[in-house]
Amino acid sequence: MKCEEYISIIEEYMDGELDRQTALGVSDHLAVCRECADFCDSVRSEQQLYAHYRRDVEVTPAIWASVQERIRAEKVAISPDQVSRLRERKPVSLKWFAGLLSTPRFSPALAVALVLIAVALTAVVMSYLQSNQPATQESIVATGNSNAGTSATGNGNANQSDDPKDRKDKIADIDTTPQPEKAESTQPAPRPQRVVKREPTPEQLVREAEQKYLAAIAILARDVKRRRSRIDPFVAAQFDAALADIDHTIAETRRAARENPDDPIALQYMLTAYAKKVDVLREMARN
Amino acid sequence: MMEASTLVGQPSGRAGTLMNSSEEWIARARRGDDEAFRLIFDRYARPIISFIYDMVGQRELAEELTQETFVRAYKNLNALRDESKLSTWLFGIAKNVARESLRYRFREDGKVEIEDDRVMEMSDGRLLPDSELLNKELNGVIRDALGALDEDKRMVFTLKIFQQRSYEEIAEITGFSIPKLKTDLHRARAEMRRRIRPYLGVGYEV
Repeated sequence: MKCEEYISIIEEYMDGELDRQTALGVSDHLAVCRECADFCDSVRSEQQLYAHYRRDVEVTPAIWASVQERIRAEKVAISPDQVSRLRERKPVSLKWFAGLLSTPRFSPALAVALVLIAVALTAVVMSYLQSNQPATQESIVATGNSNAGTSATGNGNANQSDDPKDRKDKIADIDTTPQPEKAESTQPAPRPQRVVKREPTPEQLVREAEQKYLAAIAILARDVKRRRSRIDPFVAAQFDAALADIDHTIAETRRAARENPDDPIALQYMLTAYAKKVDVLREMARN
Repeated sequence: MMEASTLVGQPSGRAGTLMNSSEEWIARARRGDDEAFRLIFDRYARPIISFIYDMVGQRELAEELTQETFVRAYKNLNALRDESKLSTWLFGIAKNVARESLRYRFREDGKVEIEDDRVMEMSDGRLLPDSELLNKELNGVIRDALGALDEDKRMVFTLKIFQQRSYEEIAEITGFSIPKLKTDLHRARAEMRRRIRPYLGVGYEV
């Protein structure tokens, strides 16, 4: 081997990463080559310099106190019963839940109207899916109409996005229920067909809720962008870390919701993740 | 190396003779024993906070991210397959936490501006008065040089030079291939060498 080749592996030699035979070869060469031995000495000197490096950081008791506080909060937030129930239902659900809880807790107050609508839609979807009873079709219709009263545009979107191509069997079954007869038997109103046509499916309601959250997030993100320069960099970094967590959770929950469109837990986690992001952005906008 | 050797033995002093292995601490922490998890924290918090500080360059942020690292570790203890690799696993979490934070920082090239605060004396520091000034200056030079490395190089350099991790461990922590980390480490060393060269052999006593 030439000196250049030895030079190229001297750092690995110093790191103890060479196999025994190669290391012995380098050692023998260093004993007879002044130039390579000098380079080896310079690497050693650097390492000694780095060993003296001191950082402006220490492990303070406050760090453990905060860790302990958060761990205890986790224990309260997820009781053993909840954990076992989640595990029984769907193992990956626990991971999403943990991801949601890992984000900082902010004020639960919701002031954005879009978010209120999204929450209402979420509640409707969850109550429907959790009941898992086709007989509740009427209640869905009724609640869907009350939401329409809250948001005319939302109702319009639901009508326009009535695309049955990717519905699952359960939803398809609901859609094929003889609704006009049902409507007539429970509500002798003169216009049963109008109710059937405007009836949003759970999937549409989820999509609508998601759109509301995305709209709220877009509005808040613009506010945050405008005010960013006024936010303390440290605080901003904390918010950014929280947003990174939430975005990761949103991505995971969206994927899970796509794979399990009729699982209320999956849908609930997805919408909760959006709600978390709204909370964080609102806190940032306030700063 | 310094940190690890300094910390070995501290936990057993706190806990008595019953708990003296990482495996046992992990088992007890998994059963909800906070004190066992505290022993894990005590043992690894210093190298972890040093690593994170080297990555993000801000003391308060490093403290915050260290908290986050250990909270995530606690929540995911069941995901740790090989208890003998607790340290590598913790560094892997710290890497993720630091990267997520850096992703949202203002500078997009992965370089950070490390705070130029007063250098704190470590409890085991034995600095001679006449070399203290030079040490502070050198600290500043190393700090700036570290901050000027791109993120991958800084990570590999820190894990090797300051945390004394093997290439195999660095590959596990970072997810980099061995050839990539070797290249990054070699280039990082060269960049750092260029900056600290004036301090090699000009009166600095090591």
